[in-house]
Amino acid sequence: MELTFWGVRGSIPAPGPGTTRYGGNTACVSLRTAADRLIVLDCGTGARNLGISLMNGPLGSGQGAASILLSHAHWDHIQGFPFFVPLYVPGNVFNIFGGGKSSAMLEGILEGQMAPQYFPVQTLKNMGATIEIAAVVENQPFSVEGCRVVACANPHGRAGALAFRIEEAGRAVVYASDAGYPAGGPPAASLALYRDADVLIHDSTYTPEDRRRYPDRGLSSIEDAVAVAVRSAVKTLVLFHYDQDYSDGDVDALFARGRRLLDEQGGAAIQLCAATEGATLAVGS
Amino acid sequence: MRVRFWGVRGSLPVPGSKTERYGGNTSCVEVRSAAGTRVVVDAGTGIRKLGKELSQSDSGGRADIHLLISHTHWDHIQGLPFFSPLYHPGSRLSVYARKRDDLHLRAVFASQTDVPYFAVPFDETKAAITFRELHDHAEFAIADVKVSCARLNHPYIATAYRLDADGASVVYVSDTAPFADILFEDQFIANPPSPGAQLSPADQARLVAMRDRVVRLCEGADLVIYDTMFTPEDYQRIPHYGHSRPSDALAVCHDAGARALALFHHAPERSDSEIDAIVAGTRAVVERARFGIDVMGAYEGLDVVLGRE
Repeated sequence: MELTFWGVRGSIPAPGPGTTRYGGNTACVSLRTAADRLIVLDCGTGARNLGISLMNGPLGSGQGAASILLSHAHWDHIQGFPFFVPLYVPGNVFNIFGGGKSSAMLEGILEGQMAPQYFPVQTLKNMGATIEIAAVVENQPFSVEGCRVVACANPHGRAGALAFRIEEAGRAVVYASDAGYPAGGPPAASLALYRDADVLIHDSTYTPEDRRRYPDRGLSSIEDAVAVAVRSAVKTLVLFHYDQDYSDGDVDALFARGRRLLDEQGGAAIQLCAATEGATLAVGS
Repeated sequence: MRVRFWGVRGSLPVPGSKTERYGGNTSCVEVRSAAGTRVVVDAGTGIRKLGKELSQSDSGGRADIHLLISHTHWDHIQGLPFFSPLYHPGSRLSVYARKRDDLHLRAVFASQTDVPYFAVPFDETKAAITFRELHDHAEFAIADVKVSCARLNHPYIATAYRLDADGASVVYVSDTAPFADILFEDQFIANPPSPGAQLSPADQARLVAMRDRVVRLCEGADLVIYDTMFTPEDYQRIPHYGHSRPSDALAVCHDAGARALALFHHAPERSDSEIDAIVAGTRAVVERARFGIDVMGAYEGLDVVLGRE
């Protein structure tokens, strides 16, 4: 499996000279399976560049298929969806999985973004590709592009955000963006989902100080991310979903602090990465 | 008056090193009169930085803002939930946009921050927010700023605004297609019309009248800010997306006797150097035609002073 980061920012895209190194696009990660199939994790504005990059392959000629896993429907996780160009190529087939009490409800949420007052395409049905939408059942494994996937909701402000564990041939990747754990720490189910993962992509929006300033936003600090990585004994922790006001220098500092915290808290063996737009990460190599 | 560009991009924000100079934020322009009246046109992601500046000013984060919305496509409203004065008690926000038969303006904005799309519902913002729905050719005053409107040719319909104050005028014409080939209303157009296809005489007449109104709105303007998202090739390929070329903007400015044109609403794929070339090309056309129009490429942070400051 190989991961590529297309958007690593939280809340709202942050263009400008201060963010060019880590990138200013909102959340989107692609996972290329060992069997060369594609899973997209969230559809923030990073999805636009991912879509463009896919047009040279089968998705460019209407002969492609891929799955999209949506953690939740806050704008920074879906706003790139209307600009994901393979969705406009008839013949392509997309399976979309996300939260919702029913599949129809999830479809309605995605339709809400396409409505004519907001976007000229007016409905998903005008996009061209075949789009299948399914609400996932938490903690019940399902199959996506030949991988075994388990979803589990993390607390996130007043809502929740799904974390996904994706397993293929003995390797495991976990995507856990937008996690705001209560004072008592993460739910046991979340720790179980992260357990022994080869790669844990985890919400690291804030410094501990900023996390204390914004306790209700339902987002993690670097401390929270390090703590769960150590407790669940992951091999690599990837920092993700940086605050929109953090400059490249601020993210450098967040990364350095993460490394120090890992070393102090018994996670010296855990590899640390700061997600960077355009970067790829091979899983388990 | 002082015109400041906070977001100049169309469609969606585009961070990255190729958009560093012109900027990657979506549409937002601030107009401030000498007397201090603050009118903002559109609330793309650029409005976030305006909010930050206001929160660092002497007012302690409170602000009195009049927000004119060209239309409610995402790139013109998506920054509003991140506009910090909304969360300061004592702030006042008056939102103006074209009246529609199918939806109330307030509902369009409130839905943007409904569950499950955003963490803070509209009703929990702290500012006093009012909505005013406008008819196509409304004229009204915001303190010392006179506002006039005209209808534009864009999917789901957009509005152009002219602001007069301090003996100067600025017109915001975004988003719009040229006034030919397609009459945009609420319909979804799946495929572009075949080149040279004739419009019905009735539609043709409506487009001519619409353009006349826009030319009149721009008459003698000191600055016209115009949707020039398309290259001529884009217009050939996707005219049904509803945007203009620099040549369309120049023709309107020339017919209206406008003094300056800001190329605006740059396409997301346009790099800084490509925009440089478009600006240079448009200036060359002006020079050859001896139009006497000052052409600039709108960029984030551009400040233009018109009339008294």
